[in-house]
Amino acid sequence: MLQVQNIEKYYGSQNNVTKALDRVSFDMADGEFIAIMGASGSGKTTLLNCISTIDTVSAGTILLDQTDISDLPSGELAQFRREKLGFIFQDFNLLDTLTIEENIGLALSLNRFPPRKVRQRVQQTADALGITDILDKFPYQVSGGQKQRAACARAIIAGQSLILADEPTGALDSRSAKNLLEILTHMNQNMAASILMVTHDPYSASYASRILFLKDGRIFNELLRGRRTRSVFYHEILDVLALLGGDVSDVI
Amino acid sequence: MTLFKLSLRNARRQARDYLVYFVTTVLSAALLYAFNGLVFSGELQELSHSLKSLPLVVTLASIAAVCIMGWLVSYTTSFMLSRRSRELGTYILLGLENRQAARLFFLENLAVGTVALTLGILLGNLIYQILRALILALFHTRYTFGFAFSLRAIGLTLVYFSLIYLSAQFRNHRRIRSMKIYDLIYFERRNEEAVIKKSSTRRKLFPVSIVLGTAGTLLLLLRSLPSGICGAGCIILSLYGFFISFSSGVPAWFQKHPWQKYQGQTLLIFRTLSAKLAAMGVVMATTALLFTAVLITQGTGLTFSAMFQKRAQQTTCFDLFIGSSEKNQNLDDYQDYISTGIPTKNALQYQLYLGENRQITDYVTHGIRTNDEYYSYYGRDLLMKFSDYSALRSMLGYEKVTLEKGQYLIHCIPFLKDMMTDYDQPVSIDGSVLEPGAVYTESFTQYEWQGNGHGFLIIVPDETAESCTAIHSAYAAMTKEPVSESQFQALTDIQENRTDFDSILAKSQVEDDYAATTAIFVFPLYYLALILTMTAAAILTIQQLSETGRYQRQFLLLQKMGMEQYEMERVLRRQLAIYYIMPAVPPLLIGIPFILGLGGMVEPGILVGASHPAVIAGATAGLFFIIYFIYILIAYTSLKRNVF
Repeated sequence: MLQVQNIEKYYGSQNNVTKALDRVSFDMADGEFIAIMGASGSGKTTLLNCISTIDTVSAGTILLDQTDISDLPSGELAQFRREKLGFIFQDFNLLDTLTIEENIGLALSLNRFPPRKVRQRVQQTADALGITDILDKFPYQVSGGQKQRAACARAIIAGQSLILADEPTGALDSRSAKNLLEILTHMNQNMAASILMVTHDPYSASYASRILFLKDGRIFNELLRGRRTRSVFYHEILDVLALLGGDVSDVI
Repeated sequence: MTLFKLSLRNARRQARDYLVYFVTTVLSAALLYAFNGLVFSGELQELSHSLKSLPLVVTLASIAAVCIMGWLVSYTTSFMLSRRSRELGTYILLGLENRQAARLFFLENLAVGTVALTLGILLGNLIYQILRALILALFHTRYTFGFAFSLRAIGLTLVYFSLIYLSAQFRNHRRIRSMKIYDLIYFERRNEEAVIKKSSTRRKLFPVSIVLGTAGTLLLLLRSLPSGICGAGCIILSLYGFFISFSSGVPAWFQKHPWQKYQGQTLLIFRTLSAKLAAMGVVMATTALLFTAVLITQGTGLTFSAMFQKRAQQTTCFDLFIGSSEKNQNLDDYQDYISTGIPTKNALQYQLYLGENRQITDYVTHGIRTNDEYYSYYGRDLLMKFSDYSALRSMLGYEKVTLEKGQYLIHCIPFLKDMMTDYDQPVSIDGSVLEPGAVYTESFTQYEWQGNGHGFLIIVPDETAESCTAIHSAYAAMTKEPVSESQFQALTDIQENRTDFDSILAKSQVEDDYAATTAIFVFPLYYLALILTMTAAAILTIQQLSETGRYQRQFLLLQKMGMEQYEMERVLRRQLAIYYIMPAVPPLLIGIPFILGLGGMVEPGILVGASHPAVIAGATAGLFFIIYFIYILIAYTSLKRNVF
């Protein structure tokens, strides 16, 4: 579904150019759950921003469902983001003046979904993610984990084909983080969501089916989970991180 | 860095963050200074005896302005405190004493206040020159530019400003001194709490507030002081009730019709609105109250200004006019004084007569639905001899007219012209029947009790008039020089010695009175209206701009979620429009009927054409919206620049 082909991204002026992404290429199949790992400044967020069309690439192409998103005019880009992409952020990014139900329904509203059917759809998604009882509450009345689940519901409700998650467990305690990762796995396995997650955390990454390691803007390594258990996969991730040139705390 | 330098740097930054507040303070200081200039201006008070009460009225208006500005300064500084409490908390955390932090906050506000006052006084001098020029023009006196600062006016402005700032600072000072670091660091988490938390109470309050608002407006329109006070009370209660209850009414409505909030951008707009109303219902209500006061003061000012001007125009065709009461028709005592004391070019003493019936009075009275009894003051139709009429016309320089045999003429105020032209009935007096002739509408002193008719006058052949009863005498003259204040006083003294009430009108005195009333009554009303509008609009704008960060986050998220730029701009525009329209709608619903009602109380024929109550209401709303719109524009451009 997603094809990233030789993308490059430069920042800065003529005399001071920083290469944030250097000939990055990978393919993502429908229903895949990919994690991107790397140290600070390795280009993870830049890559995510380019895929999410918030930033543009300096060279190369990104194809999502056969559409070259680097060529889309700005009007179509907004429509593209609305229909194809769902976002989950580290700090939840829920609007604090809207209830949880309205925050989730907002994605449908932006997609011009028939207003009379919004509630029903929100109810179904909330049901699947176990947040039905907090729908009437405002974000400040619920826990971080519940907020993040609401953000997940918002990211998937309009039938978006690709979920982009930027450090989704960054602001959560370990229990809520585990809970969220299980939800992401559930969304991936049962709700046909393709997920691209940026993370520092090897434990979070171990929930993915494939991991791309970035270093200095290039793909340094790739790890496939295959049929291994999550705990074996986790240890493999730690090994790769050690290979990346430092221990876990350096990477984090 | 010393505490003083830190204060100065913070003050500079604060001025940038709160530019709207700063500009409003400068303009208010300028207005305060300009009007204080009027209080101490010997030149203006010497213009006319009638300007004697100007200092008192301006001082009263200034005291009201000081109270309103006090609210602005106190609200804004405590708002700034809540926004900057974390910073102040950090200073204390770093080792500054509470006392010193409070002094820091005080010093920087004092610095902002001092700069505002200095700029205000400079600008105020220009505004004072404009006011001076206007008043001099009203009294037909030559204006010469004189750029001099009045030390006494500066002193009084300083006193007002000190009162405003010191009272606001005193409160904040005490608050900071008694606060713990934790309170300061987490102060911004505190929200303004809703006054009534129970939504069922709020829902009941909503219809009550609407009823109170309607009743209040109606009571204001009744012509008595007690009903006016009750009306004002009802309106105040209604505005607070409305804004406090409305915030729960909106979510309740959407709860009943949930799907409607998902239509278009309704969700974003309605939630921003209800969040704002829940947090600042009381502020919105106070703002609406100030706006209501603006519309009422401005509308009253415009109505009275138009009324005084029109009355002055209509009553001052003769340089001197004396109308005697019906009992005493002898004007010799006046004439004796005039022949020695007031040189005249032309003069005529004449009589006015009562017709046999009130057929034209009835025609007019039925034709005009308001103020029915106004035109029937004389009981019967009022007549004038054609010879007197011709002499008076020639005295005034009006074109010569003729009266055909068997006809009568009508001279009326312009307002009645069409109605009188349509009148085709003959008039029967002492057996002779007169057919209608021409209608004239030049200014002819037709507004006063003993003038040339109350709105209209029938001119008949001399012999016909003589067969009727004379009801009162009048004396009209054109003088060589305008009648002076002392000459007019002498005539008034004569009148006081007579048994009945006579009307004495001197063109110069009527014009002076008009000018003085405008200066004393209308200017201070505008002054208050301006301060009220600026204060209320500034508070709304400060609130709005303080939300810039929240808007930035909101629109960044919406952009990521795929909302298009034009849609986001539309949402911002609508959110702003509703936010600013909300506190302006109830004032319009109260103010406009009030202005129309006030206009309706004035005798017919005065507020016509450009001074029609509807035009006045429109002009009042227009003036108000011009100033309001400037603040809205500032908020919109600033938000748009920072958010997108």
